[in-house]
Order: sequence, then structure tokens, then C-alpha cells
Amino acid sequence: MNTAALTGGTPKISIRDMTLVHVNEERRQSNVAVENLTLDIMENEFLCVVGPSGCGKSTLLSAIAGFMQPQTGTVTMNGERITKPGADRGVVFQEYALLPWKTVLDNVALGLKFRGVPRADREAKAMEYIAMARLTEAAKKYPHELSGGMRQRAAVARTLANTPEIMMMDEPFAAVDAQTRLSLQEELLRVWNDNPITVLFITHSVEEAVFLADRVAVLTPGPGKLREIVEIDIPRNARHWDTITSDPEFIALRDRVMALVRDQNG
Amino acid sequence: MIARRSRPFMRRGSAALTGILPFIALFAAWALLPALAGIPEFKLPSPGKVLNTFTNMMADGSLMAHVWASLQRLAAGYLLGNLIAIPLGLAIALNRAVSETLTPVLSFFQSIAGIAWVPLAIIWFGVGKGSVLFVIANTIFFASIYSTVIGVRTIPRVLFRASLSHGASRWDIISNVVIPGAMVQILVGLRTSMAYGWRALVAGEMIAGTDGVGYMTLEAVQWYQAEIVILGMIVIGVLWLLMDALLFTPIERVTVRRWGMVR
Repeated sequence: MNTAALTGGTPKISIRDMTLVHVNEERRQSNVAVENLTLDIMENEFLCVVGPSGCGKSTLLSAIAGFMQPQTGTVTMNGERITKPGADRGVVFQEYALLPWKTVLDNVALGLKFRGVPRADREAKAMEYIAMARLTEAAKKYPHELSGGMRQRAAVARTLANTPEIMMMDEPFAAVDAQTRLSLQEELLRVWNDNPITVLFITHSVEEAVFLADRVAVLTPGPGKLREIVEIDIPRNARHWDTITSDPEFIALRDRVMALVRDQNG
Repeated sequence: MIARRSRPFMRRGSAALTGILPFIALFAAWALLPALAGIPEFKLPSPGKVLNTFTNMMADGSLMAHVWASLQRLAAGYLLGNLIAIPLGLAIALNRAVSETLTPVLSFFQSIAGIAWVPLAIIWFGVGKGSVLFVIANTIFFASIYSTVIGVRTIPRVLFRASLSHGASRWDIISNVVIPGAMVQILVGLRTSMAYGWRALVAGEMIAGTDGVGYMTLEAVQWYQAEIVILGMIVIGVLWLLMDALLFTPIERVTVRRWGMVR
């Protein structure tokens, strides 16, 4: 299937016949997490990857982030092979991964600091993203003083402030309560609409994936293979939780993705 | 508002008060037991006699001379031991080759750290400052290094990954992730090694010293001056309490406590 023709864009990330193996040296075991995966992530698209636990979706993210290397196949960004982590591929983690010893401001300014941006400049820029994440009041606080939802907003602001070419999110809202999750999803879309960027969003929640994505890639479990890609053509201005759950199109797409995910569980 | 604000203060005040109670009990036992149990004064001198000794030795300057000699020696050994231990601990935690090379030899020497070296130190450096310093630095090194190693190894991997995916260089990782991330344990090492250093100092001075608080107490034994021995012990304990309260606790408050890494 030619995904480039489907969305009419150019691929930002290209994955070709990629196999990822986890090696546990202590136990002398290895485990194939992803097998022969081919997938394109288009420029400025919002791609969600769903699949049951153990389908290798987080491993897929690790390979794009450069935390691990594929055993076979290739991962490229803008045609160049990915060999190590870098600021052009920002990651938002489920466990927030804010540095506990830095304030919200210093955390959001982190990438700019690594790039050598002078303090005054980087703090001014960080404050813009903090305002966007509605954390201005909390800028001088430390992560442990924030709620889970606020921490994750700070983590998103940190990644966006660094203006990566792709933002990858690894089940970012899995650790917050259900109420907060809904508002974080809406906020993420608001921010993404204002800051167009390529997003790879990993989740096990079908509803979340269909609500957020332009396209949903469904992976089969252990080892992960691409089952199908579902286009989500619900208009962006219709993506609000108070109305979308009664939208027949949303329901149909959700049921279809759900069926794809459940089918392979037997 | 006023009531709410005053409560933590009251609690802190009462905690300090509770902490003093055992000292009062000990002091009371010390003051009363000799008379009740018939312990002769040369074995357990009264608080009054120790206080008297304290005033005399303060007046002639001998107490301060010994304390000053010990503190200088401790500071030198502490700096030397930790300036080697902390960077080496970081290297062991961060580099597998360094770890695999050094772990066995460090384990070997760990069992014979500290005063086990006194006899050889006397042969090498003679009786005096050099020997004691060597023994203190040696003790402090081993009391500190493993805390740094554990501190780095327990930093969540995700913090390294998050920093790398925001463009951190190797040096950025060390200064922004490794050192602050290991700070809880580094401080444990700094605190424990100071306490162990005190013990090594006293023991070292007793065997190989020519002055200092440890030397002062052992010298006093020759003349059955138990009051000087007790005075020396009190001085050591009080100095340690002061260091803990004035040095380590404030450092902890503005770092790891502020960051929510310890409660």
C-alpha cells in the first residue's frame, strides 16, 4: 500500500522491513518485539499506533528515537538513517520524565540549554510554551509539587519548546485519571493545531487513538506486525469529547479499529 | 491562619525537646549512679569534675589546640577521600570497563579499610600526622564511594532517555542528570563518611598520633584521668552534632528535600 499516495504528503519517517529484538543479557534471552514492519509517518500527520500489551509499540518508538537499533531493516528520517537519540526527535514518556531537580521553567528550557541558547533567551521562549500549556502559575515549581496532568503538560511543553521534527508520545496519558485524560487529549489537539508537527502517539486505548489521529496503525501482538492502517477522516473541528461520542462516524471508526485489535487476540 | 502557621513550628520545637530527653536521662544517671552504686570517682568522675576539667583546659588553651588539630586533620582526610571517591564512583557507575576492572580490587581493600592500615602506615609515614591522615582518607574513601555508585545506578533510565532525546551531550548528561540524580546517595556518602572519618581519626590518633582529641584521651588514661577521657568523648559527640546540624541538614534542605526526592 502506498501511504504517501493516500495522504498526499511526504514521509518524515520511513520504516522498512524492520525487525526489533530485545536482548536480555542477564537471562541470556532474546525476544522479537517487532517483525518485518514497514510504515511511513507523514510530515505533520498525527499517527496513532494501537495494539495490545506486548505488541512492540513502545519498542517501535525506541527505534525511531534511537534508543535501540533494528536487527534487520531500516529506520530513516528525511531519508537519513537513525543511529542515535537526538533533539530532532523529542519523546514524551508515560512517566513524564521531568528532571525532579529542575523547576518547570528549567525543565521546559532543557533542550534549549543543551543547544547553548543563553539563559534569558531560553527562559523567554520556555515561558511561551509554559503559557501555552497553561502552567504559567507553576513555572517556578518543582515537578513533585504538580499533579500528574500538570506534569504531563509540562513534559509536552518541554518537547515542543525544543522544536523537534517529530514528537513521539509513549502512552503519555495512561498514568493520569480518566477525567484529566479527556481534557489532556483535547488540549493536545488544541496545541497541535497551533503548532503543526509530526506526531507519533503510542496508546493501547482505541478511543484515544481514533479521537486524536489522522491515521491509526493497528499492530498485531508478539511479535508486532502491521495489521492495518485506518484513516480517521473526522474533521478536526469535530474533535470534542462532549459531542464526538455520539457522532456515528466516530462510533463506526472506533468499532472498526476495536474489531481489528480484538480479532487478533482470538 | 495564625494557628495553622504556628503548628509546624510547635511540632519542630517539640521534636527538638523529645530529642533532648535521652540526654537528660543519661546525664541524670551519670550524676546519680556513682553515689547510689558506690562507683569510685577515678572510674566515673562526676559531671562537676568534668566541667571543671573543661574550664581549666579551655583556660590554658590545650583543649582547643587538640580540637583544632583533629578538625584540620579530619578536613584534609575528608576532602582527599571524597575528592577521589566521588569522581571514581561516577566513573564506575557510568563505565562498564572501569567497573569491571576496579570492582574486585575495591572489594578486596574494602574489608581492610581504615584502622587495619595503622601498623603499615606507621612503618611508612612514622608516628604522627601523615599516618593519621592516610588512615582517615582511606576510611572516608570506602565509606563514600559505594553511595555514589548506587546513586547513579538507581537513576531511572527514562531520565537519561528524555535528556538524550532533547539533545543532551555526554557532559550535559553528567551535569544535569547524573550528579543531581545521584545527589541523595552522594549526600548519604558525605554524611556517613564524615561519621566514619571521625571514628578513624580518634582511633588513628590514639595509636599513631602526637596531638588531637583522640591522642588527648589516650594520654589521659596513663594518669587515670577519666574526666579528660569523658570530656574528649563529649567534645567528639558535640562537634559531630554541630556538623550534622549546621552542614549536612541545610545542604539536604536546599537540594534533595526541595526537589521532593526525600521526605
